[in-house]
Amino acid sequence: MIDGVIRTGENEWEVPVGFVKGMRVPGRFFLSERLGGLLEESAIHQLANVATMPGIIKNSLAMPDIHLGYGFPIGGVAAFSLEEGVISPGGVGFDINCGVRLFTTPLGEKEVSGRKDLVESLFTKIPTGVGGKSRTRVSSGDLNGMMLRGARWAVESGFGLERDLVRCEEGGAMKDADTGAVSSHAKQRGYSQGGTLGSGNHFLEIQVVREIYDPATAEAFGIRAGQVCCMIHCGSRGLGHQTCTDHLKILETATKKYQIAVPDRQLACAPVMSVEGRAYFGAMAASANYAWANRQLITHAAREVFMRAFSLTHEDMPLVYDVAHNVAKMEEHIVDGKRTRLCVHRKGATRAFGPGSPDIPRELSGIGQPVIIPGSMGTSSFILCGTREAMEKSFGSTCHGAGRLMSRSAAKKKLSGSDVAAGLLRRGIIVRAHSDNAISDEAPEVYKPSGEVVQVVHDVGISRLVARLSPLGVIKG
Amino acid sequence: MSFEELPHTADIRIRARAASIGALFSNVFDALMQVMYGKDRSAGTDRRLDLSSPDYESLLADFLSEVLFISEVDGLVFSAADISLEGMHLSAILHGEPFDPKKHAGGTEVKGISYTGLAVRKEANGYMVDIVFDV
Repeated sequence: MIDGVIRTGENEWEVPVGFVKGMRVPGRFFLSERLGGLLEESAIHQLANVATMPGIIKNSLAMPDIHLGYGFPIGGVAAFSLEEGVISPGGVGFDINCGVRLFTTPLGEKEVSGRKDLVESLFTKIPTGVGGKSRTRVSSGDLNGMMLRGARWAVESGFGLERDLVRCEEGGAMKDADTGAVSSHAKQRGYSQGGTLGSGNHFLEIQVVREIYDPATAEAFGIRAGQVCCMIHCGSRGLGHQTCTDHLKILETATKKYQIAVPDRQLACAPVMSVEGRAYFGAMAASANYAWANRQLITHAAREVFMRAFSLTHEDMPLVYDVAHNVAKMEEHIVDGKRTRLCVHRKGATRAFGPGSPDIPRELSGIGQPVIIPGSMGTSSFILCGTREAMEKSFGSTCHGAGRLMSRSAAKKKLSGSDVAAGLLRRGIIVRAHSDNAISDEAPEVYKPSGEVVQVVHDVGISRLVARLSPLGVIKG
Repeated sequence: MSFEELPHTADIRIRARAASIGALFSNVFDALMQVMYGKDRSAGTDRRLDLSSPDYESLLADFLSEVLFISEVDGLVFSAADISLEGMHLSAILHGEPFDPKKHAGGTEVKGISYTGLAVRKEANGYMVDIVFDV
């Protein structure tokens, strides 16, 4: 383990105050010994940097998929006091509400396996990659609807089912969206990208439920062994990217105005309740809502493809859940024995609220929130369930994915996209992308083993394993 | 070589060098376009932009962010930039062509220009910058 880091328990580590200058609280992260060998010291420095920010509560935290990011590390979680704390785009990222959702189908593996035509139809119907433009005409009224009402706008416009909204974090829309704080630049980018997947690590995957660990919870979530599902991973597209860029600039000025010292310019911030802080929060919420509308549009397009290919109805393909990975939220947590409203940042981390939380679907209130953890295009994805322990240990948060371990430049040098695709095809996984690079960049080899990452969060108790899914078909940007 | 890609686990980290600040910005601009659209890019359609920022790092980040915006909204892929600097004011004419999926779809979308580790440094023979593109 890195010098200066202290082991505090099985899979639990502390970065003590003093690791970097100005830390107000210790850093804390969850990691197995084995994954510790892959840990970057620079990511731990970023975790410690977050601990220097004003009003931080308890700890700067990182999940076991921690790796080097910008501002916060990827896998970073931090909660701030509303009175003395700050809000920062560095704790959310450029891709506001990058997130993941899963819907099930009544199909079995045999019906879908080897169906290149199905993967091709999804690739044709859902715009992907650089320059991918929307097939949905978005008017200015639509854009406002997307930013204010998120997934509800999409459902009310005919792109989805009322029941989908119950199975989205925040019901698919944050209430504090402020479209006035979203720049005209950001809005212009929003018109042409509704319903587009993007590139990088974004994907749509056909999967099969390979293993059930917790039958009762899986049944409550609507998942059964052998069932074919569809997973969608994307975010707020150019509208969100521009919002982060615009507000980073505003908050850089605010950091100086409020005389806040930050060790990294990407951690530019302002008091949560300041004019600048509230403007960022309102614009971020509007972008998060755009992302929920976007995932809803993609869900509709994917359901249409399945409907035509297998004579299904949309109702045959219910949503299991939709979670955000990059977001700041006002949430209630117990601090020193008192329920306290905090500004919780999650940057490459997933909310994992446990049973009894008022913020999860009523039908799951005795169970906990579904948590969806994507693997890579050749490795398993997992469904987990939020826990009470997560509320105590990690502000109701868990990991968000496997976490990268190889850079894109190294991946390009070491791997050929067509070889990776051929290897996956031999294992029954059909991959469709615009380029070889898009495949080699995201090959299974560039990620940590997803199974080891989720085992850590399960063992630590901040979420528990419910089911494992493996890929059958993938479309990439 | 005007720029090189350095290892970064999740994103794209670029190191560029040049004799002048204007040439340095032009090299990073070239890196950005290459990451997004590959090497096969031509001129033919121009766009002009003007902006001011408090320091070189902000000026570079603001310039590249504006290039991302124009490229996406106007559907243009740029091959070269004529950059003039006067203090902390930048004027640029960008030369490019409409996005063509057959030529330009092989790259990776850049979501934003990060300030983490962004520093323009004076060297014996000119200037150097390290910059991270979020992808």
